[in-house]
Amino acid sequence: MKKSGVALGLAALAVCGLARADINVGVTLSATGPAASLGIPEKNTIDMLGSPTVGGQKIHFIVLDDKSDTTEAVKNTRKLIGEDKVDAIVGSTVTPNSLAMKDVVSEAEVPMISMAASAQIVNPADPRTRWVFKTPQNDSLMADAVAVHMRASGAQTMGFIGFSDAYGDSWLAEMKRSTQTAGIKIVAEEKYNRNDPSVTGQVLKLLAAHPDAILIAGSGTPAATPHKELIARGYKGKIYQTHGVANADFLRVVGSDGNGAVLPAGPMLVYEQLPDSNAVKASAAEYVKMYEAKYGPGSRTTFGGHAWDAYVLLQRAIPEALKTAQPGTKAFRAALRDALENAKNVAGSNGIFNMSAADHNGMDNRARVIVRIENGKWVLSK
Amino acid sequence: MDFSIAVLLAQDGVTNGAIYALLSLALVLVFAVTRVIFVPAGEFVTYGTLTLASLQLGKSPGTVGLLVGLAGLAGAMEVYAAARERTWHRLPRRLAIYLLVPLSIAALVHLLAPLTLALPLQILLSVAMVTALGPLLYRVAYQPLAEASVLVLLIVSVAVHLAMLGLGLWYFGAEGSRTPAFTSASYRVGDVQISGQSLLVLLFSLLVIAALYVFFGRTLYGKALRATALNRVGARLVGISPGLAGSLTFTLAASLCAFSGVLIGPITTVYYDSGFLVSLKGFVGAIIGGMSSYPMAAAGAFLVGLLESYSSFWASAFKEVIVFTLIIPVLLWRSLTTHHHEEEE
Amino acid sequence: MRRAVLLVFIAALLAAPAAAPAFWITLLNYVGLYSIVALGLVLLTGVAGQTSFGQAAFVGLGAYTTAYLSLNYPAVSPWLNLVVGMAITGFVALAIGFITLRMKGHYLPLATIAWGISIFYVFGNLDFLGGHTGMSGIASLSVFGWELRSERHIYYLIWLIVMASLWTTNNLLDSRPGRAVRALKGGLEMAEAFGVDAGRLKIVVFIYAALLACISGWLYAHLQRFVNPTPFGINQGIEYLFMAVVGGAGSVWGAVVGATLITLLKQLLQSWLPHLLGREGNFEVVVFGILMILLLQRTRDGVWPWLSRLLPGAAPRAVSAAAALPGRARPHGMAPLLVVERARKEFGGLVAVDELSFEIRGGEILGLIGPNGAGKTTMFNLISGALPLSGGSITLSGRQIGGREPFQIAELGIGRTFQHVKLVAGMSVLDNVALGAYLRGHAGVTRAALRLDRREEARVRAEAAAQIARVGLADSLHATARSLPLGRQRIVEIARALAADPLLLLLDEPAAGLRFLEKEQLAALLRSLREKGMTILLVEHDMDFVMGLTDRLVVMDFGQKLAEGRPADIQRNPVVLEAYLGAV
Repeated sequence: MKKSGVALGLAALAVCGLARADINVGVTLSATGPAASLGIPEKNTIDMLGSPTVGGQKIHFIVLDDKSDTTEAVKNTRKLIGEDKVDAIVGSTVTPNSLAMKDVVSEAEVPMISMAASAQIVNPADPRTRWVFKTPQNDSLMADAVAVHMRASGAQTMGFIGFSDAYGDSWLAEMKRSTQTAGIKIVAEEKYNRNDPSVTGQVLKLLAAHPDAILIAGSGTPAATPHKELIARGYKGKIYQTHGVANADFLRVVGSDGNGAVLPAGPMLVYEQLPDSNAVKASAAEYVKMYEAKYGPGSRTTFGGHAWDAYVLLQRAIPEALKTAQPGTKAFRAALRDALENAKNVAGSNGIFNMSAADHNGMDNRARVIVRIENGKWVLSK
Repeated sequence: MDFSIAVLLAQDGVTNGAIYALLSLALVLVFAVTRVIFVPAGEFVTYGTLTLASLQLGKSPGTVGLLVGLAGLAGAMEVYAAARERTWHRLPRRLAIYLLVPLSIAALVHLLAPLTLALPLQILLSVAMVTALGPLLYRVAYQPLAEASVLVLLIVSVAVHLAMLGLGLWYFGAEGSRTPAFTSASYRVGDVQISGQSLLVLLFSLLVIAALYVFFGRTLYGKALRATALNRVGARLVGISPGLAGSLTFTLAASLCAFSGVLIGPITTVYYDSGFLVSLKGFVGAIIGGMSSYPMAAAGAFLVGLLESYSSFWASAFKEVIVFTLIIPVLLWRSLTTHHHEEEE
Repeated sequence: MRRAVLLVFIAALLAAPAAAPAFWITLLNYVGLYSIVALGLVLLTGVAGQTSFGQAAFVGLGAYTTAYLSLNYPAVSPWLNLVVGMAITGFVALAIGFITLRMKGHYLPLATIAWGISIFYVFGNLDFLGGHTGMSGIASLSVFGWELRSERHIYYLIWLIVMASLWTTNNLLDSRPGRAVRALKGGLEMAEAFGVDAGRLKIVVFIYAALLACISGWLYAHLQRFVNPTPFGINQGIEYLFMAVVGGAGSVWGAVVGATLITLLKQLLQSWLPHLLGREGNFEVVVFGILMILLLQRTRDGVWPWLSRLLPGAAPRAVSAAAALPGRARPHGMAPLLVVERARKEFGGLVAVDELSFEIRGGEILGLIGPNGAGKTTMFNLISGALPLSGGSITLSGRQIGGREPFQIAELGIGRTFQHVKLVAGMSVLDNVALGAYLRGHAGVTRAALRLDRREEARVRAEAAAQIARVGLADSLHATARSLPLGRQRIVEIARALAADPLLLLLDEPAAGLRFLEKEQLAALLRSLREKGMTILLVEHDMDFVMGLTDRLVVMDFGQKLAEGRPADIQRNPVVLEAYLGAV
């Protein structure tokens, strides 16, 4: 009864051509659980946006926490689609959750913009990824940057220590590929848990292999644990981190031990140091200024930027979609998907998006810079 | 693996083992007296470290709010109980225990926080603050269920753990903290570097274990607790109230955990959710001790620490698998060499 | 009436996909999956008293098996994958159970924690299982060529399996093995005294619970069509336990109630808390924890017992007439039934029973008496097998007892009662007594679960009812054991021992705590049993009770035999008067 009533109402709306009040965007992210340090800045970014108006329509964000768990992420996705009738979904924070959500959004034909790193989320371009986009730089892009930098600084061998989770796994796989191209040998592979009280065993094993450089693939402050241990055990080679550490808390915890470490990151982390000619500088500045005005100086993280970039993409695509259909309809969602796929030269906080049917990430080398840690600050490496 | 690596790993394992040992003592203590499996032990550890880290930054820690809230709740429960049982004469003393003491500690911490006192004073404040949460938690969550089955008490423990975990995220954020080392000294023995901090951790743990030994062997309260652990009905007959025994036990256990937190802070980064795995390893030690023997529990905890350290060197991806599977033969040996009395629910 | 409620429930389940919004079906699907796992825990934890944190790992085993097989061997039916998954799960559960369940103490909880954590990292670190990232693109299920791709379709399969598991588990609880499982929680001594091999039974129950979890995992993989390690970690394992306890771990419906309550509560909190407390923090887990504490403080047995009171009560099932159970062959002739020869028991350096010899003849009541600490109870425990002999021998109609387990001794024909009454408090008198006839039935878990045991069950119930009538408690047949006064509970214990059709009845201080009138009734009962040819060994403290009742007495002091003879002679024996009666 109720359902048919709603359908009738919608049909009536469509017939009269009346605009519905809101565009509903569902967000599922990992605000608690192991990935909380990534999910919280994303949530803050969405909260900061409030209910912006795009193309004359108010966007209403419905934010759910998936507790870093795949079952919850899928449940949330179904809830957003079934209950809240959202026009698009943003999320989730981590790769496994995003992968698990793919089937649900493809079946319901709702466009989804993931904030997780792995290229697997949008590749290969097939019916299962037709509705799926992502904003973070593919981890392959970042891994290549690390390998190239290592090679340029003369390293022949490297050691790897990463999280025992999807983040660490994905980095290891990408590094194996890109070091091969660069001609670097991986001489030690170690794993650790973000909560481990000690990583002495892994670090001793790494040191025993005498690598020229060591990459730590972790996110947030837990990535400081092996870093500090390496320094304490007298490691003299170059230490690389990933863009997962790009927040102020990491700098606080790693302290002076972080000096000289190198990492690839989205340009927003150091936008102030970019030349004015940089294509990303203005758009990165817009986001960071807004975010730090609300959450305090130095509170920026590149993860929050991924949520912002999802909004920026929607901002571009929604007016296009509104030309052909009304929000809340199947036609609108299809038009939104098409508009996302055709989005060109969209400047986000972390890079420039040029989407296409074959590439649902659309980022290029402009989406990463090499950053050094110097005296508790991020310094752009020229 | 050469000798110096083996020694370093052993040092690492013993240091962590010492912290697990403190936790397993807390778990055995709580279980023996109250039959509660103290799942939230881990949260007391993280609260200890993170409260100290807040004080380091000159911030009043979020746990102050929790302390005030719990004290208010416990006070209200006491007033209600006094009204219902018409035991007004006991009320002043109980309000002093459950309301006045915690509120004064909270006020003290809140007022002194911005002064960034010397490290030992900050440590004292943090431990006092987190310790004060222990008896309140017992009063509010567990005492109304004192006669329930072990299983129900366990589930309540899990619920308490979840609530404290969520509050920890809210108070301290998702990112971790480290506290400054007590000492930067380091000693060279042969080619092996031994850090002063590790030695301090070991020393403090052994001191605490010895202090517990004296407490249970020599003091009246200690003996009373032991009596309660052995025979609840008997203890009540000779005038030891189970409520008092429970509060006292939780005070002790909370202080052990908070102290572990302070010790672990300089060695590793502590997160709001670090506690669970740490307490789980303490729990493994406690079970090796059959949930009743203090020295065996401590020995079990050291074993866990060493296993963890060596397996992280040999096969880091499978570290947890190794630690937890190698426990099985130990358990088998324990069960074959000890005689168990039949438990009744 | 209760049946009507059940029918309404089933009708609502059937109608749901047509009437309910899509997300409700999603939730109901998860509730169904969780119920299946929680149901296993009701049996394992709520009924048998064994706590497991590792159920999520068994769910993972089911899910990963079918995910791996359907991705690598797409031609094979997922139904076959289920069989493979169950075989693997059964094997793992057997191994874990074999190592831990034979030990007493807290070893199963720890072993299951260890198992739950280990499997998480094993899944996460094996590349062929997709590592931590997981495996996607798992096929959906088909039933008779009909693909269950949509949530509304697989819903029917999930709830069919839920109802089937409820049915089998309920059948199991109301059967020969079920009574034995329910007896486990009160301590193993009692169950073993009636021939239950408790170690084996616990393993069987553990495997049953693991298999249910595995089925749930199989459904999960094909519903989600994606697996990775996070849903199978220790946290989820704890959550399943949570559901069972909050719902009410004593009843099968507690599993469904718990799974529903927790799933819905989380949804409600997720929807409402941001409106109530603002969006700055994440208070879901905090509020959830606090609500659970409050709930358990209000109803510590979970929600179901409370709900159940709102429902109309079920009428107890009547006992129907059935053919008698086969009886035990009884020895003829004058040979003594039980012979104790130079029995010896030491505890450390202390000799509790010192070279004691005596015999019991068929059809007599023998009293074993002595002052406190004389070693009577130790001697009793040596005969029942609760304690092993240090030396000497005990034979029952020529067969050795020493060195056997209590459940094997029960099989030889010894029935016993306990000094401190050991009945399953929540079970009816009829079921308690039927437990005594455990060894006279054969129905195993499978037969019981599929209700193929009804004919045997009718005979067992008829036998139990007959024994209850024999001891004069016919009016309390369906009362719960805990509702009876102590005196009557002792009589129930005797009826339970009689239901085993024993050659020898061992009574451990049956008159302790009884009032005068109750003692009179007990004595009359024991006399009437003797007239029917029963042999009875009575360990007793109460001299008046023993003197008027027994045929012969054995008097013990300091672990040794002081005297033996007719009560009248014992009363005049100067040595006994000196050592025992004189001391009174």
